[in-house]
Amino acid sequence: MAHATSIQYEPVAEIGGGAYGTVYKARDTESGQFVALKSVRVQTDQNGLPISTVREVALLRRLEQFDHPNVVRLMDVCATQRSDQETKVTLVFEHVDQDLKTYLERAPAPGLSPGRIKDLMRQLLCGLTFLHSNRVMHRDLKPENILVTSQGQVKLADFGLARIYSCHMALTPVVVTLWYRPPEVLLQSSYATPVDIWSTGCIFAEMFRRKPLFCGESEVDQLGKIFEVIGLPPEDEWPTDVTLSRKNFPPLMPRPIADFVSEITEQGAQLLLNMLTFDPLKRISALNALEHPYFQDEETLTQTKS
Amino acid sequence: MARTGFSDSKPLLDLHKKVDERRAPLRTWANACGPIDRWQPVDVDESRMAPVKLEPERRWERRLSLQTKEGIIMGFHEDSRAHSADGCVEEPVLLYPHGLQGLHSLQALVPSLLRHEVEMALEKLGLIWDRTYAWDVFLDMMRTQTWNALPTADLPRHFTDATRAVLVDWLIQVHETMHFQEETLYLAIHLLNCSLRQIKVTTANLQLLGMVCLFLAAKKEECLLPEVSGLCYLMDHTYTKHQLLRLERKVLCGLKFDLSYCPPLHFLLLLASIARCSAKVVWMARYLLELSLLEGQCVVFLPVHLAGAALCLSRQVLQEPPTPEGESAWCLASSVHVGSETALLRIIHILTNAAAKAHTRETCATFIKFSSPETMHVSRHPGLKKISALLGICT
Repeated sequence: MAHATSIQYEPVAEIGGGAYGTVYKARDTESGQFVALKSVRVQTDQNGLPISTVREVALLRRLEQFDHPNVVRLMDVCATQRSDQETKVTLVFEHVDQDLKTYLERAPAPGLSPGRIKDLMRQLLCGLTFLHSNRVMHRDLKPENILVTSQGQVKLADFGLARIYSCHMALTPVVVTLWYRPPEVLLQSSYATPVDIWSTGCIFAEMFRRKPLFCGESEVDQLGKIFEVIGLPPEDEWPTDVTLSRKNFPPLMPRPIADFVSEITEQGAQLLLNMLTFDPLKRISALNALEHPYFQDEETLTQTKS
Repeated sequence: MARTGFSDSKPLLDLHKKVDERRAPLRTWANACGPIDRWQPVDVDESRMAPVKLEPERRWERRLSLQTKEGIIMGFHEDSRAHSADGCVEEPVLLYPHGLQGLHSLQALVPSLLRHEVEMALEKLGLIWDRTYAWDVFLDMMRTQTWNALPTADLPRHFTDATRAVLVDWLIQVHETMHFQEETLYLAIHLLNCSLRQIKVTTANLQLLGMVCLFLAAKKEECLLPEVSGLCYLMDHTYTKHQLLRLERKVLCGLKFDLSYCPPLHFLLLLASIARCSAKVVWMARYLLELSLLEGQCVVFLPVHLAGAALCLSRQVLQEPPTPEGESAWCLASSVHVGSETALLRIIHILTNAAAKAHTRETCATFIKFSSPETMHVSRHPGLKKISALLGICT
């Protein structure tokens, strides 16, 4: 079994040197399919694989059994020993050629149609609802890890990896993009599943704009850019457990979202604002977002047609 | 809604719930889970939900209950508001794949009453931390357990059921010395059953495989982990630490890290709680359920069936005087099994046989464990021998 992965999966190309280590595109020599290999080195002591790794990977495996259409397939997992102190855990995912970033870049001139955006958003929220209902949060949702197949199917990737990789993360000084981070993460307050909704909101806006909504260069700069759009939140919404004070930011009023995201419908704008809500407790949930009127009008339209 | 005492019969009819309590996380499942083709919503004739008479069709009860008359007439009034709102919410109960044919009738017979009881029981057992998700958790248990039954009881050629039983018996003893949770034992044996079929192990390494499965189960379930050196000591240093950790990786790869399992014990406690079973009935059922771990043939059954059969047999063995409340509660609990009578009867036969022989066998760790005063001496109960005579099973 120790050699099985290297034999069964033949690396074809390096497809990313993300925060979590190198990702390879490889060919499964048994099926001929392409796969994405993500390896992580975990520290092992005299008690073998750490409990956290065992539990997290087991959780990913459990999710896999539900076969959700909007979540990338985890096809195989393998643990190989590298030394007495280190074990390599390789996660074998299905390989999808295109991510949302390239999908948006490749879209011809006026950009994606409103119907296409709605469809992508619905699939994205479906995948997210599934993860959240299984107590998994993504924590690093961005166009690069939302995959879009050639049939236009959205598949979330890289979810739940944060905890598996966490020990490894400390060793790699990689700059992680701040653009999709919600205020509570930027402020280093406590956070939960609403983080993914914020990121989804940023991505929603980006689908119309074809460029990111908030491009901050530091945590404070990112927060400043956010407040320029949504306005400075009231004092009572500012988290109490953070070091950064609200006084550091100019008192800005919220600006109409259409100034930043033109072409969005009224209902779309409403949903977007529900996602880009400063207070994570007031932010819409993935499940409720799917029930937002923005998604319902299309169905009623097709129903009246037929 | 205030939590009501379990002995109180009122909650049976207390079906009023706030609307927000029945918000629809279940849609999540409908949207999210399982390949679409497995999901077949079924229209249920609402009129059938009104007071229902359940005919006593349970063959095993008839055959076993020679003294008590099991005339079961279950009537309950549905709160119309409650089930009209529940109509769509109940649907996912039908949505898990093949295997539990009884669910159509389950939905028709016990819509929100069962749901209410399941929610209360899960909360009482501490298996959930938020009542809002209780029914989701139950549906999830019912759905995922179907992945846990193995397709066949056949072992690789060089192992026999007897060898397996000796190993399981030893693991039960190790588990006891370690003071692990009961869930850990059930998971360990499940991992053992799977890995025996997934990876090649020689007879010489069988003990090591058992220990690795227990170790992995502990990593999944326990807060405190034993030292690997301690585990090697328990095996008289037959194997090195290095060997143990190497096999751990091999098992994890072989099982592809799939360590999720819905233990039959959870179903047992859930059903027992719904059925208002006495402490003694529960201990007896736990004993019988643990005996099922030693039986190689039991790996093909669903956890909910194993639990139901253990509980059923326990009631028959102990023959506690019936009360009207107890009987209707039992009836409600057994509605989960409608349509699975054959499977239950088969398990009951296996368990009856096992319990009758338990004290004479070499593999008697479970028998001894359940003969203690803490477990109400259930394994020594004379009824266990009587019942096998009634079933016509020779020991």
